Amino acid sequence: METHFIISSKMERLILNNPNPSLSKPFLLKTPFLHSVFGHQITPRTAQIRSFSVTCKNKASQDKKLKNVSNKIVLSEAAPPLAEEESDKSGNAEAEVKPGNGSGSTKLVKRLPKRILGALSNLPLAIGEMFTIAALMALGTVIDQGEAPDFYFQKYPEDNPLWGFFTWRWILTLGFDHMYSSTIFLGMLALLGISLMACTYTTQIPLVKVARRWNFLQSGETIRKLECSDILPRASVQDLGVVLMGAGYEVFIKGPTLYAFKGLAGRFAPIGVHLAMLLIMAGATLSATGSFRGSVTVPQGLNFVVGDVLNPSGFLSKPTEAFNTEVHVNKFYMNYYDSGEVKQFYSDLSLFDLNGKEVMRKTISVNNPLRYGGFTIYQTDWGFSALQILKNDEGPFNLAVAPLKINGDKKLYGTFLPVGDVDSPNVKGISMLARDLQSIVLYDQEGKFVGVRRPSSRLPIDINGIKIEIVDAIGSTGLELKTDPGVPIVYAGFGALMLTTCVSYLSHSQIWAIQDGTVVIVGGKTNRAKVEFPEEMDRLLDKVPEIIEPSHNKLKNNDA
Amino acid sequence: MIFLTFEHILTHISFSVISIVITIQLITLLINETVGLYVSSEKGMIVTFFCITGLLVTRWIYLRHLPLSDLYESLLFLSWALSIIHLFAYLKKYKNHLSVSAITAPSTIFTQGFATSGFLTEMHQSPLLVPALQSHWLMMHVSMMVLGYAALLCGSLFSVALIVITFQKAIRIFGKNNNLLNALFSFDEIQYINEGNYFVRNTSFFSSKNYYKSQLIQQLDHWSYRIISLGFIFLSIGILSGAVWANETWGSYWNWDPKETWAFITWTIFAIYLHTRTNKNFEGVNSAIVASMGFLIIWICYFGVNLLGIGLHSYGSFTLTSN
Repeated sequence: METHFIISSKMERLILNNPNPSLSKPFLLKTPFLHSVFGHQITPRTAQIRSFSVTCKNKASQDKKLKNVSNKIVLSEAAPPLAEEESDKSGNAEAEVKPGNGSGSTKLVKRLPKRILGALSNLPLAIGEMFTIAALMALGTVIDQGEAPDFYFQKYPEDNPLWGFFTWRWILTLGFDHMYSSTIFLGMLALLGISLMACTYTTQIPLVKVARRWNFLQSGETIRKLECSDILPRASVQDLGVVLMGAGYEVFIKGPTLYAFKGLAGRFAPIGVHLAMLLIMAGATLSATGSFRGSVTVPQGLNFVVGDVLNPSGFLSKPTEAFNTEVHVNKFYMNYYDSGEVKQFYSDLSLFDLNGKEVMRKTISVNNPLRYGGFTIYQTDWGFSALQILKNDEGPFNLAVAPLKINGDKKLYGTFLPVGDVDSPNVKGISMLARDLQSIVLYDQEGKFVGVRRPSSRLPIDINGIKIEIVDAIGSTGLELKTDPGVPIVYAGFGALMLTTCVSYLSHSQIWAIQDGTVVIVGGKTNRAKVEFPEEMDRLLDKVPEIIEPSHNKLKNNDA
Repeated sequence: MIFLTFEHILTHISFSVISIVITIQLITLLINETVGLYVSSEKGMIVTFFCITGLLVTRWIYLRHLPLSDLYESLLFLSWALSIIHLFAYLKKYKNHLSVSAITAPSTIFTQGFATSGFLTEMHQSPLLVPALQSHWLMMHVSMMVLGYAALLCGSLFSVALIVITFQKAIRIFGKNNNLLNALFSFDEIQYINEGNYFVRNTSFFSSKNYYKSQLIQQLDHWSYRIISLGFIFLSIGILSGAVWANETWGSYWNWDPKETWAFITWTIFAIYLHTRTNKNFEGVNSAIVASMGFLIIWICYFGVNLLGIGLHSYGSFTLTSN
């Protein structure tokens, strides 16, 4: 026979406040509240009831003894003497997977919302959702994202389908060309979020309620049935309590019984993990709906208005006053390694408000963005905008530079200085190529290599009678701008997630003991470190001193 | 130059020592447990550990940044992390230490061997940090990721071992039962294997061999759970710190870059694993299957994405060296 019950928190408080533990007995043993269930199944055992009356018999003498033993030991007056078997059973979440199993047909209607909740918090469902999300993400990395439809027509043609069925129709219908914003993917994430909430509500929070009530096991039989148990001859629970306290356990002693636990946070932390995940999801949703983004390439010396660059990403995106800020690129430059590779990009930016007053000035670089009034400016790219030259000591002329090849970080820019008749159909001239702002390679009218010049060298080069001096290479900075109201929330979620995953590693260990004459029966269990725990318990029990003098014999009265 | 020579020497010492360790372990495994050999193999692992540490420190000194910027260096770090796990188990004197070392030592040799093999030799040249990598987050992000990979690889290898052992047993039982009941459809057979499994688990206390086997399975199960939980922590911290870094560098904390996505897939798979552990029905073989899937996915995440050289995480990938 199985019954469901949970002691109401009100009743628990009543017991907790009761200064005399012997008085609390009639309340709780007779009041199993038979509603409000999440499936803590208990088999009613009467062992606790039996032994309880016994423990109260010698209360006065025990109290006296307790005070003598150690003033460090927490007296358990406040602890409810509930020997709830259900907390043993619900060590892991498994008991709660299928709530409402044992409910009668009359309760069925009442429980419909709970049934839905139960279905959502169903572990296999959550696992299925996670698998689906993982598979969709993997698919998203396999299928090229964000291409034009033509690309998919060619790559996944209908007459030659991949794996026999996979064509572009699938991709475009299901939105797999933009997987991470497709309805299916977002829907799965939302479903997972709902499952997270349902699981936290139906499974984890009830677990906390159970785990928070420490309880004493009143019979040696029960203790011996625990995962890990031992019998200590000639010992006392008080000594055991001191040893356990030294090992970081919270120890409660009540009469001949002892209860100790450690790492309770490890039991609560998974809730924190789930809440942190929800926080991150909420933050990411806000990011997706309420942010602005934009990128701009600005030649050195020019400026732009923040609001012109930023584009809203969703319906929650609201421009702020800071969008009127004008950004002026004072200088753009690069640092190089000795080998000539780019070490770092720098943009010296000034921010002006509507009145033309400079409100901020900062040199940004990759990894070092500028933040002002809710928006952030990142250094993400660079370009070559113009080449300033002197031709036969005339000028300076600014030659516009065009990108010839862009392959990731390796770029090639070129410009052309026409020589002779500009209007003729096959105009010839001097070509100048550059990989970066450091050195310019010059070719003559016939396409032959002439030489390399650095912009700062002021060293002229003579090409078929034309004297060219490169004065300066003017770069343009590639900036990325964004406002993201979701970041603080997401970061809070990140912090919480890191902390709670770490805490989740802790194993919640519980130890019970009962004095049986001169013998102490000890038993314990833990939820995670199932192999380390027995070893730790052995080590601790070895430390418990053996009592030789027969002074503790009077304890024998305790067991009846 | 002296650093390069030193690095070269250390690489070769560590590789040869660990090869000897593996040989010794094979001998002890195949012939019998000889205490002397076992002790020497432990010493060998310690020597390897110090060699790899020396290797990393040398690179750190002469490159003047943490040696975590490309695949070769992260592989070195991976083998270092594996040897740390090994030493941790050794120093803690766990009873099943031998099985831990049976997993970690070969893993170390494979990563170390791969890192130092000719396949990657051109990548040994001191790489210069590209602008995006010049951040304090580099140390935090990459070290956490690689530690996470090491722990997860180790834990999932335990699960693979568990599957192999359990599966062997199932085959044997299946074989026996097949003799008795010839006509069984495949579906029934699978069910029967499961029942047989369950039967063995129950009766294992009566037969000492099966008892040890199920003990071993339990231990493997437990250790893979603990190590994967630890790796999961590292992976979480690694991914999150990477997200914070990306928000500083690329302008968004999540870009759906292939490497990021695969790291997230790995994370999801091991989250599934940890969830299967909360349910008694899934424990054991089912969760081990999930963990073995995780093993493959870590390699896709760690190598596959770099092999393709796609996305923002293409530092030190193969394509870049060919350019």
